[in-house]
Amino acid sequence: MGVVIERSELHDAAQKAFPRDALKPDRDASWKLAAEMGWLMLPLPEDAGGLGLGRDAAAAIHFELGRVLSRAPLIPAMATVQALGASDTLADKDSWIERATAGEFLTTSLLPGSGSVFADGNAPLPRTIAGVPDADLASHVLVFGGGQLVLAPLADATLAERPLWDESRRLFDVTLGDAAPVVLAEGDAARQIAEQVQIELLFALAAESLGGAGAILELTVDYLKTRKQYDRPLAMFQALKHRCADLRILLGAAEALLWSEAVKPAITLAQAGGLKAHATEVYRYVCEEAMQLHGGVSLTEELYCHLYMKRANLNVQLGGDADRWTEARGREVLAAAE
Amino acid sequence: MTDDTSLQSLRQDVRAWLAANAPKGWRDASRTHQDFFQSQRAWFLKLVEGGYAIPHWPAGWPGGGRSLAEQKVIYEELAAADCPRLLLSFVSTFHAFATLHECGSEEQKQRYLPRILEGETWCQGFSEPNAGSDLAALKCKAERVSRPGGDVYVVNGQKVWSTMAQYADKCLLLVRTSSDGPKQAGITYLLMDMKAPGVSVRPINQIQGDEEFAEIFLDNVEVPVADRVGEEGAGWAVAQATLSSERGLTLMELSYRMRGALWRIAELIRKNGHREDAGVLRDFGKLATQVDAACAIADQFLDNRIKGLERVGDASIVKNTYSRALRAYSLLGLRLGGIDEQYVKPITFGDLNTGNWMADFMNSYAWTIAGGSEEVQRNILSERLLEMPREPKGWVL
Repeated sequence: MGVVIERSELHDAAQKAFPRDALKPDRDASWKLAAEMGWLMLPLPEDAGGLGLGRDAAAAIHFELGRVLSRAPLIPAMATVQALGASDTLADKDSWIERATAGEFLTTSLLPGSGSVFADGNAPLPRTIAGVPDADLASHVLVFGGGQLVLAPLADATLAERPLWDESRRLFDVTLGDAAPVVLAEGDAARQIAEQVQIELLFALAAESLGGAGAILELTVDYLKTRKQYDRPLAMFQALKHRCADLRILLGAAEALLWSEAVKPAITLAQAGGLKAHATEVYRYVCEEAMQLHGGVSLTEELYCHLYMKRANLNVQLGGDADRWTEARGREVLAAAE
Repeated sequence: MTDDTSLQSLRQDVRAWLAANAPKGWRDASRTHQDFFQSQRAWFLKLVEGGYAIPHWPAGWPGGGRSLAEQKVIYEELAAADCPRLLLSFVSTFHAFATLHECGSEEQKQRYLPRILEGETWCQGFSEPNAGSDLAALKCKAERVSRPGGDVYVVNGQKVWSTMAQYADKCLLLVRTSSDGPKQAGITYLLMDMKAPGVSVRPINQIQGDEEFAEIFLDNVEVPVADRVGEEGAGWAVAQATLSSERGLTLMELSYRMRGALWRIAELIRKNGHREDAGVLRDFGKLATQVDAACAIADQFLDNRIKGLERVGDASIVKNTYSRALRAYSLLGLRLGGIDEQYVKPITFGDLNTGNWMADFMNSYAWTIAGGSEEVQRNILSERLLEMPREPKGWVL
């Protein structure tokens, strides 16, 4: 291994680039900065021009970007770069990787519908794909179908934005045109890469969720220390302190799980799914409690609470919901105990 | 965490030793408290002989002088081999050892430590009926009196929740020698002989049929001043050494054991025809992830301690994460077990994941209440880690 980079260095770099007090940083500037920092190369193995870092490196970046409610579509972009790096048959692979890591945006659907890496890839390549982030900024979309993993050009596609409650992200329904797709992999190879990309996406969503959960919990505790009622700070009431402590416990354990699984050499899809289900549920619950603990002010648009709450609820759905993944994990543990 | 070479070789050694020496069928041999006592004693002495009973003691003691990383390896292997947990000797090898090692006199160390390895057991006389979470409110009274052979403390009072006191030879005893000043300042730490005249022990009949805890009644018990640890009135500080003696190893071991016992729930799922029940599979999947998280936080806590990165409040996160997961584990088993679990079944001493689901559910309260209740942990966490203000003192009844 050429370079050894500690995860803490990546956290530090990301915090410098995206200070924790500047929420919802400008999307285009963020994207440019992320490309300049080399973060788009993080999922690449060494033989494909990457640094050979573990899954925890990318997770550290997503964690920090989740904290500040980043609007740049790094999650689909890094997943697509990973697919490029894993392809054995792509012509001009090096040039594709160079374009994608230099800032040309390639996207992929984050919903488990047809055409996404979460779908059963045996059904024919669909014409329409839902849940594609920032499709209007992307040159291609990574699609899984017809036993193939392909990059479909978006130049002649029809795009329909679906406004989200979460205004920090944008999802499109994409109807592909007639331009020929570029094939990354077929058959078993396509399935294997799709599974790796799924795991990457699930980790990214888990990391970004726990980053966000930590941020809103800190904001909530700070608020309780400042806000006074009955001549004392709300943070002095044991009933409220204990709720904050419980949130901190949930979050601490979920973070420990994230970082321990992120450095394991091998992890199953169901394990990653179980982690994602757990992390997004922790995020959703911390936000639910944060709103109640802030009281009426949490219902105003000018406060930050709703931004985290809306993002958390979207994260629950992205990459497949908790029902899908907890069931898959249950089956897996059951089978292992046979 | 990947082991370096020396840890790997230790792991191989422990594994090989356990393959030859770990007791088999110990659950069936622990159906009565007497049998449990015997099997615990035998296993402890075996471990002493093998050099794995007291890895946390200093070098010079058999198997001592191990780093925390090495201790972690030993405990991981003990859990993986499903050995009996060292319950009977827990207070002796952790609490009594730490107290004597950090605060005891040379004479006290030489007198008491070797006997622990011969099987002498200690119990803890800390809690009282009116001093639980608020331990410093303890009232058990000790008065210094002259005797021809040397001064003694004459002790009167009651202690409660003392684990396996009915089998103990010695007691780590907190007493009140003064009522002046702050309540912590009047506490003194004594080493009491459980066979001294005036000591009587009454096991507590617990709701699941166990008698793990006992009450200790002290009626004019005389404890030589030579058996005081630290100065008179300095007992509170000594007690901190006792209580901080074991940080993290037990919870890591227990979390790993719970993960190893997930098969018991899998067995219920199969037996009761829930293999294709999505709702049940989801609850099982959720539990597996919750247990994984408990293992991960316990691991992280120890790794941070090894690196010297422990933060105040971290131990509370580990404890409440484990106790919540243990409750969830027993509740899922209880639910899936159905009416069968409402018929009384024999209990197993010394194990928290036995598959007797009503008993396991009742036992799970040991971890949400004992050793600093979940509520006390929440206070520690919110006031020290989250730095939320304390409630004002001075409320008077």
